[in-house]
Amino acid sequence: MNTRFAIAVALVCSLLVVCRAQTEAKQQDNAGQFASMAPIDQYLIADRNAEIALARSAAPPSIARDAKVLVLGRHGYETAAEGTNGFVCVVDRSWMLPFDNPEFWDPAVRLPFCLNPPAVRSMLPLTIKEAEWALAGMTKSKLFDRTKAAFESNELPQPERGSMCFMMSKQQNFGPKFGNADSHLMFWFPQKDHVNWGAEFPGVPVDVHQYSPQPITEFAISVSKWSDGTAAPLD
Amino acid sequence: MKGKWGSSHLLQICAMILALTAAGPAQAQEAKSYSNMAPVEQYLMADRDAEIALARTAAPDSVSREAEVLVLGRHGYETAVKGKNGFTCVVERGWMSPFNAPEFWNPKLRGPICFNPAATRSILPLTIKRTELILAGMSKAQMAESIKSALDRKELPALEGGAMSYMMSKKAYLTDSGEHNLCHLMIYAPLTERASWGADLAGSPIMFAGQFQGAPEPITVFLVPVAKWSDGTPAPSM
Repeated sequence: MNTRFAIAVALVCSLLVVCRAQTEAKQQDNAGQFASMAPIDQYLIADRNAEIALARSAAPPSIARDAKVLVLGRHGYETAAEGTNGFVCVVDRSWMLPFDNPEFWDPAVRLPFCLNPPAVRSMLPLTIKEAEWALAGMTKSKLFDRTKAAFESNELPQPERGSMCFMMSKQQNFGPKFGNADSHLMFWFPQKDHVNWGAEFPGVPVDVHQYSPQPITEFAISVSKWSDGTAAPLD
Repeated sequence: MKGKWGSSHLLQICAMILALTAAGPAQAQEAKSYSNMAPVEQYLMADRDAEIALARTAAPDSVSREAEVLVLGRHGYETAVKGKNGFTCVVERGWMSPFNAPEFWNPKLRGPICFNPAATRSILPLTIKRTELILAGMSKAQMAESIKSALDRKELPALEGGAMSYMMSKKAYLTDSGEHNLCHLMIYAPLTERASWGADLAGSPIMFAGQFQGAPEPITVFLVPVAKWSDGTPAPSM
């Protein structure tokens, strides 16, 4: 009996070791796969109308239909539709993920979001500049340094008070690990303000991201529906 | 996702929260039953420990167990428990509604709320001030004038960036209507229009609350419903 039990344990352990090795190998493959920027075409969306629709899917139609929309061109974002309500909808690409994210150069990443007027003034410039710099061919380390310098010289602004955005698109893609994640709102503050929403405490329905080198604190609150009104997964 | 409540109940709750917090000029007529302040005793909780426990239900235990807790006395809020984490929990009464809210004087209202550190410094003083003025017997008009003067003289603090609060208590009683409650977070912004956050638009998960809105406090309050009560059980989906 003991021998059979030992064999069973050994088999299970072996299986776990193999699985872990396969997972690590896959992660290394991903890291290798996205170690540098892919050809620019892979980050672009050939169908301009599809990109406009994707950008607008970040917020309920009551907000997005009157928002300005930007689409990504070969050298940066371009205005595709003028807005009337002060909101701007745009599809971020992978280089807006944290610099240490293995998907940083994953060309499949699509992050539609709609910014409210204070965020349009203070956070959209970051999206626009990062895209210009990435499309100009900067490496990740140069992008990091350029971003850091831009904030230190006030070329890029701090988040204005009341800055927030909608990320409620069912079609959003954070990469293989998180997929379309969840439907959520985001709120931005200067890191120097040391804002505390209790996000580190268990049971609190808030996530916090401290960016680097961007001196920005970001809070996210999951919401129960996608922008099209269908139910979204919740933590 | 709809939990135990159907969508008609949710609409009812949305309506009642809006009625409670966003009463505009067209809604300025007060319900006759709450046209005046009730005897003070009706706003107080006889059991101090029960009030402490109720205040703490506003946020998950991980936040509220080390928060400062205030309870309502005859002349205002008193510190019942010293805190360690910068958060403060308190049970608000009906008079923290807009001045023209129909249930402003409803003595049954109990709004447990835990303020984060920025809100403890910049929103809680408004709760304390309003409450003191109410319990001193001031009329709404006198109270509004007094708060305005205090703001002008900078005796009350300016809004701090990042101020927010938790209202996740299953035991809250926010209105006589419907199911009486809504599990949500509150976020305080400098005075602005509800449209700047897309609040109350069709499909938007953000609700506007007219709690202050420049009358006289220069602060706009937004609500975001969340999925679980502070005890971790599912709250009705919005």
